Amino acid sequence: MTTVFNKQSTKDAVFDGLEKALGDYKIAAITKKEGKVLFDYVTDVRKIEQEYTPTVLSPKKFFFPQEEVILEYTFDGKVSAKTNPEKIVLFGIRPCDISGMKMLDEAFSESHGDPNYLSKRENSVLIGIDCKSVCDKDAFCYRVNSQNPETGFDIMLHDIGNDYSMTVVSEKGKEFAESYFDSEIFDYAAYAKFNIEKKEAFAKAGGPFEDLDILPEIFEENTNHKIWETEAERCLSCGSCIMVCPTCYCFDVIDELALSMKVGDRLRRWDACMLRSFAEVAGGENFREEVTNRVKHRINRKFNFLMKKHNQAVCIGCGRCVRACLADISPVTIVEELTKTSRALKLEQRNDDLYLPEKVTITKVEKFTDNEKFFEVEFDNGKSLGHEPGQFVQLSILGIGEAAISISSPPSFGSRFEMVVRTVGDVTRKLHTLGKGDNLFIRGPFGHGFDEQIQKKMEGKHILFIAGGIGYVPLRSLINLTLKHPDKYKKISILYGCKTPGDQMFKDELQYISSLGGNIELLETVDIPDDKWLKQSGVITELIPMSKFDHLNTIAIICGPPVMYKFVIQTLKRNKLTTDNMYVSLERRMKCGVGKCGHCQIEDLYVCQCGPVFRFSDIEDKEEAL
Amino acid sequence: MSKPKVAFFDFTSCEGCQLAILNLETELLELLDIIDIVEFREAMSEKSDTYDIAVIEGSFSRDKDLKRLTKIRETAGVVIALGACAHIGGINSLRNNQTREDVQRIVYPDNPTLYETNKKALPISGAIKVDAFVPGCPVDVKEFVKVVKNLVLGKAPGLPTYPVCVECKMNENVCVYEYGKTCLGPIVRAGCNAVCTSNGGVCIGCRGLIPNPNINSQKDIMEKYGLNMDLILDSMNLFMTEENKAGQEQAPCSPMPPKEAANG
Repeated sequence: MTTVFNKQSTKDAVFDGLEKALGDYKIAAITKKEGKVLFDYVTDVRKIEQEYTPTVLSPKKFFFPQEEVILEYTFDGKVSAKTNPEKIVLFGIRPCDISGMKMLDEAFSESHGDPNYLSKRENSVLIGIDCKSVCDKDAFCYRVNSQNPETGFDIMLHDIGNDYSMTVVSEKGKEFAESYFDSEIFDYAAYAKFNIEKKEAFAKAGGPFEDLDILPEIFEENTNHKIWETEAERCLSCGSCIMVCPTCYCFDVIDELALSMKVGDRLRRWDACMLRSFAEVAGGENFREEVTNRVKHRINRKFNFLMKKHNQAVCIGCGRCVRACLADISPVTIVEELTKTSRALKLEQRNDDLYLPEKVTITKVEKFTDNEKFFEVEFDNGKSLGHEPGQFVQLSILGIGEAAISISSPPSFGSRFEMVVRTVGDVTRKLHTLGKGDNLFIRGPFGHGFDEQIQKKMEGKHILFIAGGIGYVPLRSLINLTLKHPDKYKKISILYGCKTPGDQMFKDELQYISSLGGNIELLETVDIPDDKWLKQSGVITELIPMSKFDHLNTIAIICGPPVMYKFVIQTLKRNKLTTDNMYVSLERRMKCGVGKCGHCQIEDLYVCQCGPVFRFSDIEDKEEAL
Repeated sequence: MSKPKVAFFDFTSCEGCQLAILNLETELLELLDIIDIVEFREAMSEKSDTYDIAVIEGSFSRDKDLKRLTKIRETAGVVIALGACAHIGGINSLRNNQTREDVQRIVYPDNPTLYETNKKALPISGAIKVDAFVPGCPVDVKEFVKVVKNLVLGKAPGLPTYPVCVECKMNENVCVYEYGKTCLGPIVRAGCNAVCTSNGGVCIGCRGLIPNPNINSQKDIMEKYGLNMDLILDSMNLFMTEENKAGQEQAPCSPMPPKEAANG
């Protein structure tokens, strides 16, 4: 807390001071009027009620009144903005309402500073009276931590018996206290005792919401929770909850012309998102017609939408909406229910085997190139991997480590699957020394591959596989799957580019593919040909026009080294293929494979979860993607 | 701008709404700056065959009135229903749950057929198309002025579609339910500045239902606060028999009530 200074005055001195201030300020405080207990202007400070009764409306009304003129005009076109600041002292405001004022201060000053609100606030001195205990059964300030505001007021009074101990946090407050309140010697012990007793009394009522800090996340997880409907069934849409809320600040703007039809006012009046007409446009469409959506919107504003912006719950737990609701709808019930559901969901989702690898045995090894070897492995327990094309596994060698490796065989029910591994790190180097009969450990399959939806979309289309170097390996799973039923596609073109002829993998398979004919074509190129190379030479982009694709009926599937994507995608775009018809498989460093460790993250996406296969249109705006 | 001609007509009613308008005095004189009153039986003897705006008080309860109403509709560009009887049937519609014979016998035991009457007392919209209404029993005269002013300006009438609770809370009233009373405020159209609840009373529904009221929840709440179903229906039917019927025919608490014609 940035306390400017501490001070102590007798209660009598405080009221004497207020009396003195009456000449310079209007004083608003809790008082009785026509049988109501409310915040109102007083002319006799002795009539100020000190004992707390929760008022129907919070003191926000002094700065953001139920209705106020924001513009005056004449019908022939003279307009003038209207603000109406008066010097006021707001006395006896409680910690929850101070927390509420703080929210409104932020809301009305962000982006466009609101002149009507801010001019009134600048001219006001806020003097709080601290609570000694929770005021009633409906208050839940302690559940949202709003009972100890550190700013949002000028002076806070703590009742220590005959005296008020004062915490002054602003220059304005200091000036006021020095001008109007006669001092006593500040009694630190009494101040400390007040705070200890307050803390104990509030602790007895309970602690903050479980998972208070992550409520926005919990609300996001529960947008379709059944509680929204059960609460909406009872909700009268009467708007009471919003009228009494200290942190609600939506308003309607209304023109009122005098009967003379010559002059008029433009007013703003409190409005409420719980009211049916709130989101209705002139044409009659209503963007929040369902009560369920309105209930959801109101509570989400407090614990999700605006909470994200303010980094704290925008509900201050004063309990006014709970007291006002005839249908017994309470934010507390909703928050607790959603938290419970989210917690249960998380427990249910717990996977004790998440990091537990399973044993496989190497059944076949083949050297492809100087750096790349083909491995076939089989689960010792006979299970099937059950993967979709494009997914990967975490392969581990105990004592050395774990590495993410693409699966290069098509989906199968058997217990064997295939990988091609380049020696690049500790795990892969060690793997290259192993042979048939040796054991490895596997977790997976992981990631989002070429799922059913993508496979469905491919049907009837010209499929353009574009693989560069080792990029052929992750694509091979899908390539071989499509080759099983070539008649499902308009045409299958496999474009494969390598640095040298020696870098080509699956040579026998490629030869077989090229012999298939029909609607299947294999186009190969190498950057640096040797004497025996009789096919195309040059970069892979040169193969693209050779496939003669029709951009309206083609899906391109691309995998290769990072530099390749840029040029391939440029060429495809030049040939009018749209990016929602391009799929890429991305490589990233992966440690856990399950969206936790953070290494593979592209902005908000985990490649190991959302990828490695992406529709390019989903990631093209992400700077880090390629 | 030539001033629109306004004519007042009355049907089955106590004529209290017209009286309330006459009591406006100074504002009525100002109102005459923007309109010409050409017929107003309670205030003047002149009559007129032409008028732009017809203001109709009272409900439609006799078949023979249909001819006169149709004539008004044909003459006026704009028809405004004035007060609860014209707007929603009002108190008159209380009898709609009984047979005509019972009603006639109860009211005139000695000569039940003395007066002709329909089976039901309906709002004016039960006979002719109504373009706007001024709710209430009696009407809030300020609201009457506002509606007329808005229509002259070419705007929508501008009545609130939210319930009395909104205004009641703005007035900082402690809810009457906390004093053990029951109130129809949550389902009844605001615009009266919660005059009853702000002065020691409760809302009895003279201004009619808001669009899309949650009747089921309102009944549950009244029951929770100690009313039995008969008393709940009695209180809801005092002014709103016809509205409640319309609601029931729609399936109770339907999420999609009929759209309001004149007050968007």
